[in-house]
Amino acid sequence: MNLLRTEFRKILPYRTFWIILAIFVLLMVLILYTSSSIEVNGKSLGDETYQFPELWMRLTYVAHFFNLLLGILVIVLVTDEFSYRTLRQQVIDGLSKAEAVLSKSYVVLGLATFSTLFLLALGLYFGLIYSKDTSGSAIFSQIDYLPYYFVQAVAYMTLAILFAFFIRKSGLAIIAFIVYTKLVEPIIHYNLPDHIDKYFPMKALDSLTPMPGQDLWGQVAGTIEQLSPGIATIPAILYIGLFLLLSYLVLRFRDL
Amino acid sequence: MGSSLKSILVAIVLSIDNLSKKYGSLKAVDNLNLQVEEGSIYGLLGPNGSGKTTTLGMVLDVIRPTGGTFSWFGEGISKATKHRVGAILETPNFYPYLSARRNLEVIADNKAASHDNINKMLDLVGLGTRSHTTFKGFSLGMKQRLALAAAMLNDPEVLVLDEPTNGLDPQGIAEVRDLILRIAAQGKTIILASHLLDEVEKVCTHVAVLRTGKLVTDGPVGNIVSKAEQLLISADELQPVLTLLERLPYVTQFAQEKSNIILTLQDGYSATDLNRDMFAQGIVLSQLVARRTTLEKQFLELIKS
Repeated sequence: MNLLRTEFRKILPYRTFWIILAIFVLLMVLILYTSSSIEVNGKSLGDETYQFPELWMRLTYVAHFFNLLLGILVIVLVTDEFSYRTLRQQVIDGLSKAEAVLSKSYVVLGLATFSTLFLLALGLYFGLIYSKDTSGSAIFSQIDYLPYYFVQAVAYMTLAILFAFFIRKSGLAIIAFIVYTKLVEPIIHYNLPDHIDKYFPMKALDSLTPMPGQDLWGQVAGTIEQLSPGIATIPAILYIGLFLLLSYLVLRFRDL
Repeated sequence: MGSSLKSILVAIVLSIDNLSKKYGSLKAVDNLNLQVEEGSIYGLLGPNGSGKTTTLGMVLDVIRPTGGTFSWFGEGISKATKHRVGAILETPNFYPYLSARRNLEVIADNKAASHDNINKMLDLVGLGTRSHTTFKGFSLGMKQRLALAAAMLNDPEVLVLDEPTNGLDPQGIAEVRDLILRIAAQGKTIILASHLLDEVEKVCTHVAVLRTGKLVTDGPVGNIVSKAEQLLISADELQPVLTLLERLPYVTQFAQEKSNIILTLQDGYSATDLNRDMFAQGIVLSQLVARRTTLEKQFLELIKS
């Protein structure tokens, strides 16, 4: 826990950190606020969006796009340590390379906890105001999407850690992270049958927050085979472990 | 026998055995062997690119050696040995957006050092009044001094300093050197990498000279860097001069070079003494030139061979 305290010392006065986090918060609020006016088939969604318990699925689905932003934030925090050469200094001063990876994964856990609690607050706020059914069972019956989102956010950010430790330059690492998650994997998915690619990192992670109304869509376009959120947590957690292990090995076997 | 006795009496702080680092085909450090004794101020001297920083990087656990081993205090590197060593490698490395104090807090956490030392160290390096200034607002000299404060934060037994006066103005250089000597006076071992012979001569007790990753020579500074004057003399008849030189006790060495004789005198003697004694013996010199070999020249000679 001392590692986390030290990370807080570095982060709290860091303006860039707060700016990226503020962008995340503002975008989420803005999207949630305006999503009621989205029109589907000429009919405004209206308060439909905020109905418990489906609200949690919609909320986490929207939030999953912003994992990218959290990933970029983590990349900035890790690559800073290389550009300021502070990681090198910390290793000289006694930090082990495993602890270096561990301290950043604590930051990731902290950020994921923050964003999950933020979604909880956001969901409760909009839901309690606009939802017709505010009974306990309605509110909490599908709240398990929040822990799924938490796992997803952690996994996205640990992938960001890996890119940052591997590439070391913030700009390049951010580009590689976006290109991999949004381009490389989708192209691979396109060329592979669903029953194989559903286990690929991005697809498995995205299965944690499925698109609302997908069942309906599936009837029209043919079923899309993907893991259920509950099952997807298993590969997701394995990927988190793998990304952290690879980050450690990169650090272990390269000069600082 | 002498050396084995010595190793029993004097503790070895850092021992480097056949340490090598290759970057592709380039040998940055080539089978280096060094022993740093406790309490010494050990200078690693060499031109830029001679492998000083690479050597320090390896013993500080941030560069992986291609071959060879090293040990601190007789054991392998670990968190425990790292906490006994305070080190700066190349530039001062801090978070630019954090204040001096905050930066030292982060470092104190890493070194498991008490935060109570922070003010003391900031005062020691003369930054006590600037503790709330962010690092990026510091001048280079202040950055170097903050790095020294960071290195000394947990009162380590050994300080490793890489070019600590690099880029400083003369006043800054004098301040940093003075600080190093004050720290050394507390009985700490200091390992100092420098490309300035002058600096090593002024500060160090021992020196190892590196060239293209190889050890050229090492030993006590006095043995390697000589401060003595060199004289060049000539006379019509050289034989009586040579005979006399053998008998003069303050002539440390002499050698004939064509029609001249090059010689060095003991400290405290000068060309005047020699000229007087020659004349007293009836020898008239046709030429007497005192030339002080510049440190730069000595340095170039050291790394040439």
